[in-house]
Amino acid sequence: MKSNHIKQLFTQYKMLALLIAIALIWTFFSWKTAGGFVTPRNLSNLVRQMSITGVVACGMSLVIIAGEIDLSVGSLLGLLGGIAAVLDVTYHVALPLNLLIVLGCGLLAGLFNGYLTAHLKIPSFIVGLGGMLAYRGIVLGVTGGMTVAPVSAELVYLGQGYVTPQWGIALGVALFALTLVLIWRARRSRAEHGLAQPALWRDAVKVLVTAAVLAGAVSTFNHYEGIPLPVLLLLALLGLFSYVTTQTVFGRRIYAVGSNMEATRLSGINVQAIKLGIFGIMGLMCALAGVIETARLAAGSPSAGTSGELDAIAACFIGGTSMRGGSGTVHGALIGALVMASLDNGMSMLDVDTYWQMIVKGCILTLAVWIDVSTRAGKR
Amino acid sequence: MADYLLEMKGIVKQFDGVRALDGIDLQVRAGECIGLCGENGAGKSTLMKVLSGVYPHGTWDGEILFDGAPLKAQSIRDTETAGIIIIHQELMLVPELSVAENIFLGNEITLPGGRMNYPAMNRRAQELLNELNIGDVNVVLPVKQYGGGHQQLIEIAKALNKNARLLILDEPSSSLTASEIKVLLNVMRDLKAKGVTCIYISHKLDEVAAICDTIVVIRDGQHIATTPMQDMNVERIIAQMVGRDMNQLYPQKRHTVGEQIVFEARNVTCYDADNPERKRVDDISFTLKQGEILGIAGLVGSGRTELVSAIFGAYPGESQAEVWLNGARIDTATPLKSIRAGLAMVPEDRKHHGIVPDLDVGQNMTLAVLGSFAHATRIDKEQELHAIRGEIAQLELRAASPFLPITSLSGGNQQKAVLAKMLMTKPKILILDEPTRGVDVGAKFEIYQLMFELARQGMSIIMVSSELAEVLGISDRVLVIGEGRLRGDFVNHKLSQETVLAAALAQSAPSHH
Repeated sequence: MKSNHIKQLFTQYKMLALLIAIALIWTFFSWKTAGGFVTPRNLSNLVRQMSITGVVACGMSLVIIAGEIDLSVGSLLGLLGGIAAVLDVTYHVALPLNLLIVLGCGLLAGLFNGYLTAHLKIPSFIVGLGGMLAYRGIVLGVTGGMTVAPVSAELVYLGQGYVTPQWGIALGVALFALTLVLIWRARRSRAEHGLAQPALWRDAVKVLVTAAVLAGAVSTFNHYEGIPLPVLLLLALLGLFSYVTTQTVFGRRIYAVGSNMEATRLSGINVQAIKLGIFGIMGLMCALAGVIETARLAAGSPSAGTSGELDAIAACFIGGTSMRGGSGTVHGALIGALVMASLDNGMSMLDVDTYWQMIVKGCILTLAVWIDVSTRAGKR
Repeated sequence: MADYLLEMKGIVKQFDGVRALDGIDLQVRAGECIGLCGENGAGKSTLMKVLSGVYPHGTWDGEILFDGAPLKAQSIRDTETAGIIIIHQELMLVPELSVAENIFLGNEITLPGGRMNYPAMNRRAQELLNELNIGDVNVVLPVKQYGGGHQQLIEIAKALNKNARLLILDEPSSSLTASEIKVLLNVMRDLKAKGVTCIYISHKLDEVAAICDTIVVIRDGQHIATTPMQDMNVERIIAQMVGRDMNQLYPQKRHTVGEQIVFEARNVTCYDADNPERKRVDDISFTLKQGEILGIAGLVGSGRTELVSAIFGAYPGESQAEVWLNGARIDTATPLKSIRAGLAMVPEDRKHHGIVPDLDVGQNMTLAVLGSFAHATRIDKEQELHAIRGEIAQLELRAASPFLPITSLSGGNQQKAVLAKMLMTKPKILILDEPTRGVDVGAKFEIYQLMFELARQGMSIIMVSSELAEVLGISDRVLVIGEGRLRGDFVNHKLSQETVLAAALAQSAPSHH
């Protein structure tokens, strides 16, 4: 009975548990680095590093919720980043056009993966495995295995630029206002339908915590250079993807397809189109991540994005996305990405050997999924 | 003492307080072939699961004596050691392994070091197959090279290899063609002549009559009669199987069938997904009038579900169907197209084809019509909730909140949610496949009431059901399907279960009354 109670609590407050885990990780590293870990400079770097995994994880969470998997994203990211670098360095293509071409290529590659999975019924695991090899091969072929550099300043700015502090503050205020509006609307809507209201103090706590987090984040960023551009992009994607998954018809259908594809098909839903769409979005996310990676490194590296798919998948699973599909959230995946990035960053600061880093990350992933599985058990 | 090889005395098996078996007695003499007959759900399979140890000793009441000694099996392994071998309806062969490897699966002849002694196994396998008069089978070829009939015989060879003293065959001919059945029956006669004892379970009463010495009929978990075959015929078996009076399980009909034919299905044919030679549904055509409830009856495996799935565009294999609605041909190639054209189907398998477990009750209900609540891309959740509450009230769906997980509801309420999902598409023709399976009596009555109300409003309904009583209690007209063919089309006026069952079991051409 008691263990059941704990399980329930855990399921209900899964996100909270993850945030506590992050707090613990941060505390541990700041203690070990004598505060070096929590300097504005390092935290700014940390979230900038995380943004690439985060962008991919946004797309990946949709793929996994729909009951599929995509292993090709790391290589695809490398390929698209390479294309951006080659267009910029060799052909001097203007940045907007460059972006458009890369996004177009990403969409096409994603749709191609989706077509193989949804229409030709090749298991997505195999499609991904094939893509992982083939896309990486193309990168190596196109670049001749050489780093493509130096990329133009405009492109670099995308990965290394910052929002000025004033704009940062404005953004923080805007986000806070949005939170207020959303909470107020939720309360009003529940009242109109005669549903039980969550206690006022709960919403008040929510508002206060949001305010504290926003203020803390903005001031931390502003103490360094401002909000990094990739982080801004990630925030925008978080908003967009949360909207899509919770408010739109397409979003609801993603969950339905992942939870019970046959029942969804029999309800008159074109499940192939849904899957095609999801893989298309995944391709777009790879394009964005690829461009940011190239910009961050200021060069097109043939090894960019190697094992990026594993980080993104791990982020989704740590963030509570179910392996059999049908449940999960985008913000969970991003928190998962933050866990991974924190571990990476902290261990690098401590000069932990790469092999230890890999061992620790592997253990954390397994542990997180074990906790998820064991607290979920009995639900089915 | 051992007059009987097997004696089962007063077997009682309960599921959640419901008595599936209510004190059944069964005696089998050595060398005898027993035909075990009963309607779908009478308890035949449960009884055989008790006997074969699927339900371990202690989970049921009563006593089993095998060869005069009490049998207290904990698993199938124990009963197999004793010599009781059951061959299930779905064959348990591994298609990729060779015939000999399958016959010796779990029972291999080995050489030192755990190596397979192929020569010995192949030789013995060949001997067994020769005994069954199918010596033409090559024991080193994979099983998948052989058709269902041969596979069934390979199963029997596997059983004989285990020194079966009592062979139980559960619907052995349900997936066989007529000529394959002939071979099977010949083999059964040979085995009988060699003194093998068997229990033969089949809906095909002519087969039972052809090879069994004694007929045991059970109904509603109770033993009805044990009669020597020489005193029986197919008609009397049917009478014993049905023998139930209709009580007040059904609401009063309030609708009248319209004059106009609104729906027509022509030349529906489905091919088996694994065995394309075999037709699961063979050229069936029928019509449906406005406000009519058409019941489709037939035995398990007769092609009922396949027929309606093909009409709805949901049949997983190759199929053909010409579907007409209000005089116009409609495209029903996929469920999406069918729903757009005005059809709706509540599938038989609620868990796998009906509910979406990760969505809540309300989200399940609106799944098919979600687009109609969307402004631009955003779902208007207030409008959605309003519609959900409307359906919940109309169907008397008992859920504390539409935000509960669908899996937390009872079977009856889950079924109502799936029904609501389809009704929200405002169909003209509603197909219900086993609408009351796993549904308690109260919810059943409410579902029947709802069907009558929908018919009164002019909706035409096709209902597939395994329960003959339900078919007769609800339908205005009854189609009987047998072995994929239309066996009868009856107006439900003083129609008896015997007539329907006789049609379902008949080998003859369609009859019209």
